Amino acid sequence: MADWEIWLVIGVLALATAATRSSFWLVGQHITIPKRVQEMLRYAPACALAAIVAPDLVLADGHALLDLSNLKLVSGIVATIFYLLRRNMLQTIVFGMAFYTALRLIHVF
Amino acid sequence: MTHMTELSSAPPPPYVAEHHEPSWREGLKTGTPTLFGIGAWGLVVGIAMVKSGLTVPQALGMTLLVFAGSAQLAALPLIASHSPIWVIFATAFVVNLRFVIFSALLAPHFAQLPWRKRFVLGYVAGDMTVAMFLQKYPSEAPQVGKLSYLKGLLYPNWGAWQVGSIAGIFLGSTVPTEWGLGFAGTLAIICVMIPLVAGRPALCGVLVAGLVSVLAAGLPYKLGLLLAVLVGMLTSMAIEEGIDKWRKHHG
Repeated sequence: MADWEIWLVIGVLALATAATRSSFWLVGQHITIPKRVQEMLRYAPACALAAIVAPDLVLADGHALLDLSNLKLVSGIVATIFYLLRRNMLQTIVFGMAFYTALRLIHVF
Repeated sequence: MTHMTELSSAPPPPYVAEHHEPSWREGLKTGTPTLFGIGAWGLVVGIAMVKSGLTVPQALGMTLLVFAGSAQLAALPLIASHSPIWVIFATAFVVNLRFVIFSALLAPHFAQLPWRKRFVLGYVAGDMTVAMFLQKYPSEAPQVGKLSYLKGLLYPNWGAWQVGSIAGIFLGSTVPTEWGLGFAGTLAIICVMIPLVAGRPALCGVLVAGLVSVLAAGLPYKLGLLLAVLVGMLTSMAIEEGIDKWRKHHG
């Protein structure tokens, strides 16, 4: 992307922040959100994050790689278990990166 | 929001907006334990921005203007693969949708403030601060020091994020790519996602969304991503509906 395109993207992302975080502060003090819309708002972000992460973990050069030679997948699963046990983001990132780096350097699989 | 209502509306009651030192300190104290984590999360996003090919000024502009880590991380691979801008916007918007709920919870507490203040407060209110604020002030009734407490949570949070992020931007350009530090961004997204997966419908939706995004990864313009979100969301809603119906019949 050209420099101006990146800045346009940054502007558009700032708009997405304002639209989601500030909208209710400006207009909807006492608008009640319908139940169906609330469900959508509740489920969409987790689905979006899963949709971003899954290809990152599973795909290698555009092909699904579902065995132990996929170090990102193995490390991602181990880090997920670690997070479920400890519930601490910082520790999980450090542990996950250390685990991933160890696998990468030692060539266990 | 218009000029008319701005002029005709009464000035904010002093007891909400007035600076109240003890509340500010209390907010700061409550938020402090999270600042380290926020800084680290900023660091990860800072590194990821530079590693995905943004220049230092672009990355600085992004962290200062956008201030939404998960949306930024979501946008980076899309920028790198030259996705259309509307797809990038749609993706960031969907990732940010959780903030709509937060803002709907928080905004009524500060309805009396001028709109510019409300806009800025909303803009800087991230995930954790909202939860901590509502723990202390569950009621919307005006109370002394509410705004000071919120500021004590929000401003240090913003500062910790920016310090971490800017450090990451300058650090990222010195760390070799082989270290795979971009993977830290993926791990961070996992940590943001897991607390959002509360209950069976959400879990099913997340699994379906992940599966669809892998299967549809070949679609042009990253449309597989949006398709995955849509299918995952509908799955969650259908399952919730099914559970409700089952309860009505059997409960």
